[in-house]
Amino acid sequence: MDIFQTIGEISGKAYNSYLQAAKENGAKIAGYFCQVPVEVIHAAGLIPYRMRAVGSSGTAKGDIYYSPLNCTFTRHCFDRAFRGGFDFLDAVIFMNGCDHTRRMYDNWRHARKTQNISPDFLYMFVTPHIVDEYSMDRYIEEIRKFSKCLSERFGTNITNDLLLNSIKLFNKQRRLITKIYEKRKSMEATVKGSDILSMMFAVTAMPVDTANDLLEKIDASISDNPVPEKADIRVLITGGCIEEIDIIRIIEGCHAVVVADNLCVGARYFDMEVDESGDPAESLAKRYLNKLSCPRILNAFDARMKHIYDTIRDYRIDAVITQKLKFCDLWGVENLMLKKESQRTGFPLLALERELYGEGIGQLKTRIQAFIEEVHNRKNCPGFFS
Amino acid sequence: MIFAGCDIGSLTGKAVLIKDNRIISTQIIRVLSDPVRTAKVLMDATLEKAGLAYDSITRCCTTGYGRENIPFSNMNISEISCHGMGAHWLDNSIRTILDIGAEDSKIILIDEKGRVIDFAMNDKCAAGTGRCLDKLSKAINLRIEDIGGVSLKSRNPVNMTNVCSIYMELEVIRHLYEKTKIKDIAYGIHDAVASRIAYLAKSVKIEREITMTGGVSRNKGMIRSLGKILNVRFKQLSVEPQLAGAVGAAIFAMKEESNG
Repeated sequence: MDIFQTIGEISGKAYNSYLQAAKENGAKIAGYFCQVPVEVIHAAGLIPYRMRAVGSSGTAKGDIYYSPLNCTFTRHCFDRAFRGGFDFLDAVIFMNGCDHTRRMYDNWRHARKTQNISPDFLYMFVTPHIVDEYSMDRYIEEIRKFSKCLSERFGTNITNDLLLNSIKLFNKQRRLITKIYEKRKSMEATVKGSDILSMMFAVTAMPVDTANDLLEKIDASISDNPVPEKADIRVLITGGCIEEIDIIRIIEGCHAVVVADNLCVGARYFDMEVDESGDPAESLAKRYLNKLSCPRILNAFDARMKHIYDTIRDYRIDAVITQKLKFCDLWGVENLMLKKESQRTGFPLLALERELYGEGIGQLKTRIQAFIEEVHNRKNCPGFFS
Repeated sequence: MIFAGCDIGSLTGKAVLIKDNRIISTQIIRVLSDPVRTAKVLMDATLEKAGLAYDSITRCCTTGYGRENIPFSNMNISEISCHGMGAHWLDNSIRTILDIGAEDSKIILIDEKGRVIDFAMNDKCAAGTGRCLDKLSKAINLRIEDIGGVSLKSRNPVNMTNVCSIYMELEVIRHLYEKTKIKDIAYGIHDAVASRIAYLAKSVKIEREITMTGGVSRNKGMIRSLGKILNVRFKQLSVEPQLAGAVGAAIFAMKEESNG
């Protein structure tokens, strides 16, 4: 089986054969939201598992706790928790990424007490919203508290050596992903964005050493041959939560190829390595607070915009597509600022708003196709419409 | 050479045949159970009208929600590009197109060659669409075909403040209970729907050379309300404006043929 078919199968499910094998060998799994330092989870002997709502059958049960004005990511995720979709987890680590996900900690604890939903270890990792020396101290303190709590609960004393070992493994993963992303700079696209997103979902849902082996195989499998589909327009996709690979497929079905991203489970996941020479907790704090951020970090729009402009230049981007879920205020404001920036400097931008696993694919496709046609008009690709 | 444009929308299917830069046949039908069947019945009728068969079509381009997987189609292009190109071919002075269909409304800006340079499309709300107008027509017991004409008899529109189509309907019912004249309610409905479209228009810079396409362009009451609210005068196209998307599709087919 083609390696991208394999990762496609892994990413299409919440629980995969790698997790199952690890679990059968006695491993424990900790689900986490947003950008929690995975190295600490790993050093505690658990497998970090990026929480997704994949496989969700709806939001009916999630809606018992949430209102229709909460984003569909939280409603789908919580619904899955109610239906036993996360029963394979031994812990869930929440983060104050936004108020919707933060509230899930309260809701999950309540449902745990009243309805006994799994797992029993629930932890809120508090991350500052600004980056300065005080927040750095606060973050270091939070890492130490988190380490202590995991050590006590799961019986592994998290030493500096264990943390350093985990840092090295995840740094290796970052280097491997960076190497694959670098290949996407080639003017002839050799790998599709839909396959890359699939890869990212897979490697954040399996043991890190297995993921690193897989990444090496993926790297070796990417040939110099261009993708068979016509791909005249090079797209950068940015924005908030996205799980539907089909949206990338729609873009790539319109004579375009997604060659770069600024997504939670994309560039924001692997940007910047952790310093392996200093105190591990301090190095982790430096990395997690200074890496490419999402709009939950205040006063950092210019840094995020610089990343967009650098990507446009390095990956020779023709068009930028940003997307957000309904009721996500953080990305609502960010996209407005992005639109103003696009008007100021002239890069083509399409802003999409949608529901996670929602309907309305027809409208979405019309909008994407018309946008790609508009960019084509600017670029004037011959034979584009045939 | 004969070029076909086929626009399969959510409520109607439209087709056009162009030969020697001239429209030789057009057809509009209500959509059937699936897009492929609609396209087949539509194109059968369009060809029959012109006394032609499928093998006489040099190239066919499809557009609209049902644009994909049509067996006789050679290419598909979004309805946004097609309405832009169609309106441009019919009147090359046009720079803005207001395309209001059954399910969505779009504002399309085009350049001097009919190419899309910007567009806005409803995504949060359907209160500025034909479907909303249809629902509100039914609330005052009028057919969608008649509500425009009735509204034109009024000079005193009721003021409708709600922006949601469901609440608009409640407001209409309240006016009915208060025995407000139907023509004034009809005028108010047009203003309310037009104000939702005007809200969408704020996101792009509309140009004065503007026309309306899509099914709602047949409603003269909407043309009055939109003209008033947007402070524009719509240019009339030389064919049924609902056909603009299909015309644009046929033009794209023609261009593709000449590009080889």
